[in-house]
Amino acid sequence: MSDPVTGLVLLVVLMGFLASGLWIALSLTAVAGIALMFFSNASVGPNLATIFWGHSHSWSLTALPLFILMGEILLRSRLSRDMFSGLAPWLGGLPGRLLHVNVLGCAIFAAVSGSSAATAATIGKMSIPELRSRGYPESLILGTLAGSATLGLLIPPSIILIVYGVATEQSIARLFMAGILPGVMLVAMFSGYVALRAWMNPKLIPAADTGMSLRDKLWEVRRLLPVAVLIGGVIAAIYTGIASPTDAAALGVLLAIVLAVVTGGFSMKDFLDALLSATRTSCMIAFILLGAAFLALAMGFTGLPRNLASWISEMGLSPYVLLAVLTVFFILLGLFLDGISVVVLTTSIIMPMVTAVGIDPIWFGIYLVLVVEMSQITPPVGFNLFVIQGLTGIDIMRIAKAAFPFFLLLLLAVVVITVFPEIVTYLPEAMTR
Amino acid sequence: MRKTLDQLYLAAGWTAAFVILAIAILISVQVLLNFSTRVLGLPLPSTIPSYSDFSGFMLAAATFLAMPYTFRSGGHIRVSLVTARLSERAQHVSEIIALAMAAALTGYACVYIVFLVYESVHFGDVSTGSVPIPLGIPQAFMAVGMGLLFVAILDSLVQTIMTGTSVIAQGKET
Repeated sequence: MSDPVTGLVLLVVLMGFLASGLWIALSLTAVAGIALMFFSNASVGPNLATIFWGHSHSWSLTALPLFILMGEILLRSRLSRDMFSGLAPWLGGLPGRLLHVNVLGCAIFAAVSGSSAATAATIGKMSIPELRSRGYPESLILGTLAGSATLGLLIPPSIILIVYGVATEQSIARLFMAGILPGVMLVAMFSGYVALRAWMNPKLIPAADTGMSLRDKLWEVRRLLPVAVLIGGVIAAIYTGIASPTDAAALGVLLAIVLAVVTGGFSMKDFLDALLSATRTSCMIAFILLGAAFLALAMGFTGLPRNLASWISEMGLSPYVLLAVLTVFFILLGLFLDGISVVVLTTSIIMPMVTAVGIDPIWFGIYLVLVVEMSQITPPVGFNLFVIQGLTGIDIMRIAKAAFPFFLLLLLAVVVITVFPEIVTYLPEAMTR
Repeated sequence: MRKTLDQLYLAAGWTAAFVILAIAILISVQVLLNFSTRVLGLPLPSTIPSYSDFSGFMLAAATFLAMPYTFRSGGHIRVSLVTARLSERAQHVSEIIALAMAAALTGYACVYIVFLVYESVHFGDVSTGSVPIPLGIPQAFMAVGMGLLFVAILDSLVQTIMTGTSVIAQGKET
């Protein structure tokens, strides 16, 4: 059978498994088994067992459950409750006023939790009722929340960058550093958009609350500072090379426990809930990674990604054209699949093609995360939309419409980092010196 | 029987959870030890031997032991876009097919994972770090976890057929 036919058959089989409701990790495993059985001479079972074992105990993957646990602990601490009151006095003066709480609150919380859906849920629970009661326009409340919650994927420590790093054997420390500037850029873009809307139509935004003295402002923000220090510390330790991401994650867990206990309201039950929930999430992601690793091995045996890569480079395709095609492809894929699945499918099939045209794998990781962020806010499958629907009961299409400007801003961010790749590569390169 | 099985999945899940906590503690102790010898100059051993091997093996054990609980509580994600649009009757049938396929796959994986453990024990394979750990030990946890996942899936399959409704909790967060 020729390569294109083999590829197409396997793609259809995979889509069939996924559509039938077979669990994603198992769908990947099944299609890999079929590829090995029918399109290579390699044995299936022994390879499966070896891959499952070999990919389940890596040192860099150990950062995954630890960062998830850190997020789960902080999620249950007072921090999330204090986010609104801590940030609101500082941002009330900007054009767009308290809508910026959504953007900045999400950015901070995203850094902590590393998960986009958890960010949307936690910040949304606080900010939606507050903003509504003050009369902010619904579309901007929902849009800023859905859009900014996606920042969790980019701002370190990011779970999905760990997944990408483990699957492609790239340095997670470098990936984390690469995500910082684009993350800051997105916060600026989202806030800028809100300010622009407010400036164009001042009637949109309700009047400011009465001002607070600096003293009161500082008092309100006191509980957010330790968290900022925690995240800053984690990033700094990784940047300077004092600690590997896994080391930093373990210390992050300890500090998060201390922080949660000291700020009060964190019970033993909260801790156990956090622990079991983190175990569950980490197990789910690790299982998908195992399925993806097996798929990557099977694909290697069939030679498909290699041939696809040489075919692409023979065509003399410029990286820009390839990226444009891939972006459309990922957006389509993201309509139906969650972010982690998109990432692992990419890494097992498309990576050789990407490196063949000379795209830096670290840069590609950030690009991929941005595209996956878009998929979080596109219907029919967009986890942030589901979460906000759950919070507000508003129809998913209306939320998607509110989030659409932020989808476009993410697309703009992709264009910007393509034109100026230094935004991504500067920090990881500065780190080596 | 129902209660025993559910408790079994949950017990494995909690074991996994505490293994993850143990990883956090192990690595933190290592970092603090490193800090106190290098920066503070305390006369302590600067590293826990093979701590990265230990953490990795514990991670593998935690991942696999958590499988059955994660599965039953709807933690493992799937695409419900198509199946959610089917009629109730067709949904039931597709759930049974998905569970049957999942059972077949994990059963198949179990056979080869048990064989892998057998080989490691038979050939006396050990890890390559400064503390040689017999690979059969951590691999046995993988076998137990996958075995329990197989049981959990088979259990869900039987339960789904008997009760006529889906028994796996709807996963919410990802």
